[in-house]
Amino acid sequence: MATIDIPESMKKKLYAVAHVLDSNTEKKLGLRIPFDVYLQDPYVMSMDPKFGFDDDCYVRWEPGITDGPTSARFVVVDYNGDTERIATPAKWDEKKLKFLKGRRILNRKYKDNLQFHQVNVWAILQRALDFFESGFALGRPIPWGYKGNRLIVVPHAGYGENAFYDRGSKSLQFYFFESDGKTVYTCLSTDIIHHEFGHAVLDGIRPYYLESVSQETAAFHEFIGDLTAILIILRNNDFRRKLVEVTEGNISEADHLAHIAEEFGNTVVGQPYLRTAKSEMTMDQVSEDDGPHKVSQVLTGAMFQIIKVISSHYLEERGRTPRQAFWDTIQRMQRMAIQPLDLLPPADVTFKDYALAVLRSEELSNPTDPYNYQTKMRDVFLNRGILDETDIENLEKPHYLYERLRMSIFHDIDNISRSRTAAYRFLNDNRKELYIPQYQDFIIADMYDANKYTRQARRMPKQIILEYIWREEFKLMGPEYGRFDGEITSLLCGGTLVFDENGNVLSWFRKPGTQVTKGKDWKQEMEQGEKRLYDLMNDIKKQVQEGRIGLVHDSELGVIGSRVPPIVPRKVNRALRLELSPHLRLAEEISEKDLGERKWEISF
Amino acid sequence: MGNKLLVRAYNVGVGDCIYVRIPDGDQNFHILIDCGTISSINLLKSAIKHIEEYMLPDAEEPGKKRLDLVVVTHRHRDHIKGFDPTFFGNIQIKNIWLSAAMDKQHPQAAKTLSLHDSATRAMRDIEARGLALSPTLQLLVSMYSINNTDAMKALRQDLPEANGIEPVYVHADKPQNELSLPLNSASIRVLAPEKDIDGYYLGEEADEMLRGFAGHRTYFTRRSVSIVDAYPENISAGDFRLLRSRLLSNAFAFAETDSSIQNNTSVVLLIEWRNRRLLFTGDAEWEGEYKDGKHNGSWNVMWTVRPQHLCNPVDFLKIGHHGSCNATPWAKGRSLDYEVNQILNEILPLPEGNKKPSAKAIASTQRTKVYKPIPAAELLEELGKRVSNTRTYYQELSALDLDFEEKQPFEDYWEYEQVDCLMKPQPWRTDLENMLTGVDYVDVEIEPGD
Repeated sequence: MATIDIPESMKKKLYAVAHVLDSNTEKKLGLRIPFDVYLQDPYVMSMDPKFGFDDDCYVRWEPGITDGPTSARFVVVDYNGDTERIATPAKWDEKKLKFLKGRRILNRKYKDNLQFHQVNVWAILQRALDFFESGFALGRPIPWGYKGNRLIVVPHAGYGENAFYDRGSKSLQFYFFESDGKTVYTCLSTDIIHHEFGHAVLDGIRPYYLESVSQETAAFHEFIGDLTAILIILRNNDFRRKLVEVTEGNISEADHLAHIAEEFGNTVVGQPYLRTAKSEMTMDQVSEDDGPHKVSQVLTGAMFQIIKVISSHYLEERGRTPRQAFWDTIQRMQRMAIQPLDLLPPADVTFKDYALAVLRSEELSNPTDPYNYQTKMRDVFLNRGILDETDIENLEKPHYLYERLRMSIFHDIDNISRSRTAAYRFLNDNRKELYIPQYQDFIIADMYDANKYTRQARRMPKQIILEYIWREEFKLMGPEYGRFDGEITSLLCGGTLVFDENGNVLSWFRKPGTQVTKGKDWKQEMEQGEKRLYDLMNDIKKQVQEGRIGLVHDSELGVIGSRVPPIVPRKVNRALRLELSPHLRLAEEISEKDLGERKWEISF
Repeated sequence: MGNKLLVRAYNVGVGDCIYVRIPDGDQNFHILIDCGTISSINLLKSAIKHIEEYMLPDAEEPGKKRLDLVVVTHRHRDHIKGFDPTFFGNIQIKNIWLSAAMDKQHPQAAKTLSLHDSATRAMRDIEARGLALSPTLQLLVSMYSINNTDAMKALRQDLPEANGIEPVYVHADKPQNELSLPLNSASIRVLAPEKDIDGYYLGEEADEMLRGFAGHRTYFTRRSVSIVDAYPENISAGDFRLLRSRLLSNAFAFAETDSSIQNNTSVVLLIEWRNRRLLFTGDAEWEGEYKDGKHNGSWNVMWTVRPQHLCNPVDFLKIGHHGSCNATPWAKGRSLDYEVNQILNEILPLPEGNKKPSAKAIASTQRTKVYKPIPAAELLEELGKRVSNTRTYYQELSALDLDFEEKQPFEDYWEYEQVDCLMKPQPWRTDLENMLTGVDYVDVEIEPGD
């Protein structure tokens, strides 16, 4: 697309108002820049050159883009831990709006260049961030899960079949390895980049999810990674065109999806993102011993089933062409799957929480629901065992779109949203009604507003999201806690309140504690809190007995990958915190049990 | 002469220095299995002195004492540090057995030796740079220190030359006639390592990994610059430091793999004497279940290749790797037919009904802040059900010193020692026996079984 040449000062002014421009206008003005990136990865390209490079990857221009690449939210540091050396960064040319090596523009012609890899991973991440921040998704800038605003990206971190998000170093690390005589760079796999980025996004919007020993919470992290990879690739025109060709428009056929999944998902790396999408696993098939990747398939499969149901609806009931039906479905899925994330509780998420959030979010953006999407989705969640019959009955009970929140003391929404302290005063004045124990200090974990879109880019009322959290301490007593016997740890409690700009409560997801002041329905709240505590204690026992908790042995020069345990203990103010460590291991998963008890200890 | 076989484990901290005396007609046969520690070398010097003065007979050479066999199970310093020729100046050694993995010329260990050399270079480089390391990684680095090279030279060259012998590199496939010893009343069988060290203990994947790593290191070195010359300018020094500390380190990964292979190529000895079976395991480990062509633990290999020697109970077990949880074949929480649980139930079965166990065991160990999980408390509790020589250490130490629980050697000592386990019978362990008795060794005597 030819662009209009505009002076830099004008460009900056247009950048400031870019949010009111459509994407074609942005492209013409050079506010969105095309970059060559792999559609999937070099392996898929070698199988079918038509699916080599993505011809439709545009990244928003920013005034501060510089060498690295470096932008407002990402900084590429091409450091190799094995050689302790740095590759020359790609150089930014503001006039050409391209990254260069020497005088050469880093495009597909130079795909084997390390600097092309740097640009590839950066551009894919920039686009993915745009996907999450757009009004069709979360409708706001999203933070990272640590103090800082730039995510460090290491495209050639070292030799190994690995890639991971690491909060501790604020980084996404991509490794490379040899397979069948070829070098596989994980920084060139679009699916892997998206999966790891999904972890970073979820950690940013819900940082307390990493402080968990729950199988489901760990699986939810994997689900978001897989969902990110699936939704973004499904937005690609070429991929969708191929899918429609292969399925002859009927994408409800699992076989066809399996075919396309094999072609696109069966890279040398063997990442099964698309294969997990067609999983038919249900909750009652999940065993205690299943790892988070396996458990996540229940939710990934459920969401993809919803894609198929809705696509069939567009095709068969709404008379769309196959291509249009699928595009409409994918657009809808971005809203349906991502927007609910803002409603989720601040800690300890379950699949049920997500399903209820999806349904509530759909109700808010589509209250009249003329085509019964909510019923279709409820059926999917029920069949997967994510919701049960009681949940469905409660959902089907007649209710109003906005229910009044019982409060002793009214606070205007404008006051509540002024600051975290103001929000705290609101919650504090209404502790009893909000089931927050009287003696307990609590924090405002986060507060922000979001401008989300519904269909046809119509703006929904602004949402104000308020997350609050406290810790209920308890002691681990008994030999079944192994070396943690006698340690103090905590149950994370709290909630997420979502208001509209008029102060109507749109949703309220809670994680109760066991100390509840007597009031309306207080016993039910307390029982739920007691069940949470009981489940947490059992989860800790199980993780201890399975030997899944260990220390990270580190140095100035790094950690031993195979000895990074899935759960890491940490002491804060002498109390124990147990945190997830999401590492993607691409090699065949060795059963942790097969390593013996001393899985995470080093042999010497 | 007594007619009991004696196993004496010297209290050398975290290490092994095991003396065995086998009655053999009107003589005794004297064996030293390993002499090492991560603690002070003075403990080893004292132990060797004690053996020389009190345990060994006069040698043919005037002024010297005779030691019939030295067995060095593997090259880690907690097994070889004490092989200083000056400690053995008055001892005539008749035979030295070393693990085949220590033989630079062993044809089926070329890749393992190459890994070891790479790991050694990497660890020495790290040591020379004085980098900040966690205690455990510091320990790993120290396993490759230059002092180990001195001990290896002593074993391969200095001690054999001083005694006019050649070291014998032993493996399980070595014909018995090449391992013949002047010992009539007992046989000493080598159960591990297997001759094909690369095949059984390194595995194809590790081999591919090493080759790939070497190739790519060269590729990337050519296309990049040293951080000394070109520090990244787009992140802060603090962030870069943190990033470096949290990347995956192949240097440490290779050292850790090598260290594990060294443990798994430990010489495992089965001594059969007058219907008694004694198993000395070095630091042999287990790892899941046996996998053909992959990196395997020694116990898994022995069970697959030579099960006939592990299918009957033993009368004595030298508890492996100072009581580490994966050097004794026991997987808590797994079924009885899980591979390693089968092994343990064969060699040290739980007594039936009201019967008491008759086997004995020793752990040569000490819990230190450098490596807190060793010995594994729950493992010692489990072994305490299967052997006869046990103590309930908590009660006995409390009786000696009412404040003993308060005087923990380091801050989270009781997290790992676990009072609950210490209150149950455990096999004798050198560190706690020394606290109770003040004696610098633990003796187990084995009566003849015929």
